[in-house]
Amino acid sequence: MKRIIPFLVLCFTYQCLRAQLSTILPTSTSIANTSVSNTKEWMSFQNPATLGYIENTEIGTQYENRYLISELSTKSIQLAVPTNLLNAGLSFSHFGYSLYHEMMIGAGFARNFSDKFAMGLQFNYYTAYFVASNSYRGAFLPQMGLSVKFSSNFSLGFHTFNPFQANIQTEFVTKRLPSVVSFGTEYFFSPEFVWRTQVDKELSSNYRFASGFEYQMLQQLSVKLGAYGSDYLVPCLGFGFVIRRFTLNLNCELHPVLGLNTLAGIKYCFKK
Amino acid sequence: MKQFFICLFLLLFCSFTTRAQDAVAATEQLIADIFEQYAAESEDAIDYESFFEDLMYCAQHPINLNQSTREELDKLPFLSDIQVENILAYVYQNGKLQTIYELQLVEGLDMTDIRRMLAFVNVGEAVDLTPKIYWHDVMKYGKNGLFFRVDKGLETKEGYQFLPEEDPNSTEANSKSYLGNSFYHSLRYNFHFKDRIQLGFTAEKDAGEQFWGAAHKGYDFYSFHAQLNNVGKFKTLVAGDFRANFGQGLVLHPEFGMGKSSYVLNVTPRNSGLKKFSSTDESNFFRGAGATVRLGKCDLSAFYSNKMIDGDTVSGAFQTIIKTGYHRTTDELSKKHTVNQQIVGGNLTYTFSNFQLGFTAVHTELDNHLEPDKSVYNYFYFSGNKQTTGGIFYRMRWHKLNLFGETAMTDNSSMATINGFSFSPLSPVSLVVLHRYYSPEYDTFYASSFSETSRINNESGFYLGAEVRPFRKWKMAAYADSYRFPWPKYGIDAPSIGTDYLFQADFAAKRNIAMFWRFKFEEKQTNLSTSGAVMPVLVTLQKTSLRYQLTYIQGDFSFKNVLEGNLSRQGETAWTYGIIACQDISYSFPKIPLKIDFRYQFFDAVDYENRFYSCEKDVLYAFSIPMYFGLGSRYYLNLEYDLTKRLSIWFKIAQTVYADDRELLSSGNEAILGNRKTDARLLIKWEF
Repeated sequence: MKRIIPFLVLCFTYQCLRAQLSTILPTSTSIANTSVSNTKEWMSFQNPATLGYIENTEIGTQYENRYLISELSTKSIQLAVPTNLLNAGLSFSHFGYSLYHEMMIGAGFARNFSDKFAMGLQFNYYTAYFVASNSYRGAFLPQMGLSVKFSSNFSLGFHTFNPFQANIQTEFVTKRLPSVVSFGTEYFFSPEFVWRTQVDKELSSNYRFASGFEYQMLQQLSVKLGAYGSDYLVPCLGFGFVIRRFTLNLNCELHPVLGLNTLAGIKYCFKK
Repeated sequence: MKQFFICLFLLLFCSFTTRAQDAVAATEQLIADIFEQYAAESEDAIDYESFFEDLMYCAQHPINLNQSTREELDKLPFLSDIQVENILAYVYQNGKLQTIYELQLVEGLDMTDIRRMLAFVNVGEAVDLTPKIYWHDVMKYGKNGLFFRVDKGLETKEGYQFLPEEDPNSTEANSKSYLGNSFYHSLRYNFHFKDRIQLGFTAEKDAGEQFWGAAHKGYDFYSFHAQLNNVGKFKTLVAGDFRANFGQGLVLHPEFGMGKSSYVLNVTPRNSGLKKFSSTDESNFFRGAGATVRLGKCDLSAFYSNKMIDGDTVSGAFQTIIKTGYHRTTDELSKKHTVNQQIVGGNLTYTFSNFQLGFTAVHTELDNHLEPDKSVYNYFYFSGNKQTTGGIFYRMRWHKLNLFGETAMTDNSSMATINGFSFSPLSPVSLVVLHRYYSPEYDTFYASSFSETSRINNESGFYLGAEVRPFRKWKMAAYADSYRFPWPKYGIDAPSIGTDYLFQADFAAKRNIAMFWRFKFEEKQTNLSTSGAVMPVLVTLQKTSLRYQLTYIQGDFSFKNVLEGNLSRQGETAWTYGIIACQDISYSFPKIPLKIDFRYQFFDAVDYENRFYSCEKDVLYAFSIPMYFGLGSRYYLNLEYDLTKRLSIWFKIAQTVYADDRELLSSGNEAILGNRKTDARLLIKWEF
């Protein structure tokens, strides 16, 4: 009980202050979570249309430690496989700890149409542990996305997660699950320098406006800088490292009230 | 059984697409897009069925530009008066068009206009438009169409909760609950032979109306029409249900009238004369017969209508004409067809080369007295059982000016007048100026013209519209409208004023990418809702909105994105906001005749004044413009499948989910428990 009460207080404070996406959705490695229009990278539970652009099989894992509190961490793994007909992806995400946790598993499918646009659909199963009934409750949450390349350097992304607003009903409460709609743009000033913008709305939270720049300084190193605003303006900084077939991403955000949020992800790209 | 499934499989998956069907589908989509431009700014229900039928008829019988008249080109609502004049002038000065693409040389027409026109016009040799009609040709070349539509709301509404047999003692509750089931269905048949003969039949039952039972048997609404064109001296002959639209609509225009929209130059209704009525609108039509005779340069029209209308009749009087067409409860049924309305009217129009003058008169008689429950706002509304209205309209071209107008008067000596002119000082610039004055006492039954509200009375105003094509691929349109209500209106307890501004920039980046930005600002006066003062207190209501719409086509896919935000405030209160965003995806399968439309839409309108109206794709003959208020999302799936060359089906399912913790949607009999509303719709078309 000593652990539960502080955790619930923390969760409540956290949910009040952090008017952005739900904790079960891993933050993307795109700076300021501007992933909806990212045509270069697919990330678990983000816009499934971007899965259509991958060319190699890849596997990755990610750990997000929110505000240096291990109980608020989200862990995820992902696998993406391109095929001639469709690209397929598998994702898994876990948030919380033994007394309260949420899990989600998803299978996504996407197709790139002549490199003009891509569409994707993902089927997720979400489950949460309810300590009061000592049981798990779950729901199917689809997500769908679209990414359109208007030219070689400008594209637009649209994504909706849980569009049907499915919730979990227990004997005592209705647990509202995140229902998110996102629009975003991506503009390449040059092949090394990209600017992304994004607007998200989780239906029961405030709007989130995000923008970020990514600069490939060296073949092995990129620097990412951005910010997002919801209730507070949160600056974000990140680095990307490419070592042979491995890609390593380190991002951090500084919330003016809650403090530092860090994220680390590693991905391995197989040969074709 | 096995054979049945094999046949079904072959029917479903081996039917072939034809170019003709693609063209029809493209035209249907084009008509919906044109309509959307009109409807986007309108909060009134506009009769899409008639709009669709008229333009579809034009597509099936294209206008020969080398032989066209102003009256024929007026059927294309997206063309402005100036564009119509320029087309006619071009053909007159340069002779016949050799190819449709010669239209690029006509002043004031850009590629967007020409692409829109392509579906409805052609260029060819002049032919005799009035050849004799032979019976065997009619039988051989006549075309029949049969349409059956079913709608169903999937959630149970309050009105279906209490059936009479379940609670026979509760007479009060039963008189208010629906007598019928929750299915809407309609049946429509039409026949046409070239552009000479049109016949049709429509039957409709609304959701909640009884189809077969003690209270009612059969469909609730039936309509029949017949129209003959160019028969001897008769230009038009109509029988059954029909409409009559003359002049600028101050006397007679029961059809959708043009008004403020992003087609800023198209401000007044077109003089379309007598024409058949085949819609399911249960009030705005005439029932009887009419004819238009051509006498040299004059057209003489006369008609007579005799029909029953709905009203809450008590002791030979009723307060208002009920136009909803709903007869779902005992209460509503008791008001059905209680008043007889007879209308006799006529029109004489004289047309010279660049001058047109017309006179319209109509007399209406009711067998019960219309006696509105008088309060301040409706003090001047018509009361009595007889009314005569007459009006004179004109249209003339003088140098570069197109002048037009109409002045009408009722038998109580009240007047309405609308006058304006349009001109094009330079090829890329077109302007229109319009003034209207509708006296508070002017109130007639079937008027529809340029107005801030749907009623043609108690208004004066001045409108300026401009369309400029400054660069290739760009079009700018703007209007400013300043108006005044000299007498109180409903919800405004004192004389008031208002202004409207619109600016729209269209950019056609490529053939497959188009976008526009639309900015609108509106300021009008309304009652102060929190005021407890004895004297009326008005405050200013301000609304501003910005919309961005992007459409793009990639192969068999087409996409549309809409992003719109608005701000609103009453008096000095804080601004409230509304946001709507949607993503449309349409796909036409290349190998099977199937088309899919999908939309996901998110809306967040804090206050009722921030509400949105958003146009949706729908089954054939239908066009949805649902209103959104609150927080939530909506999505729909629309399928169109050609089972055979002659048999097609449409299916739509749509759901709105609110996320603002509401547990009850709508109110009264339409109330639904929960936060979801789901509608399904099916239409079957058989052409033979």
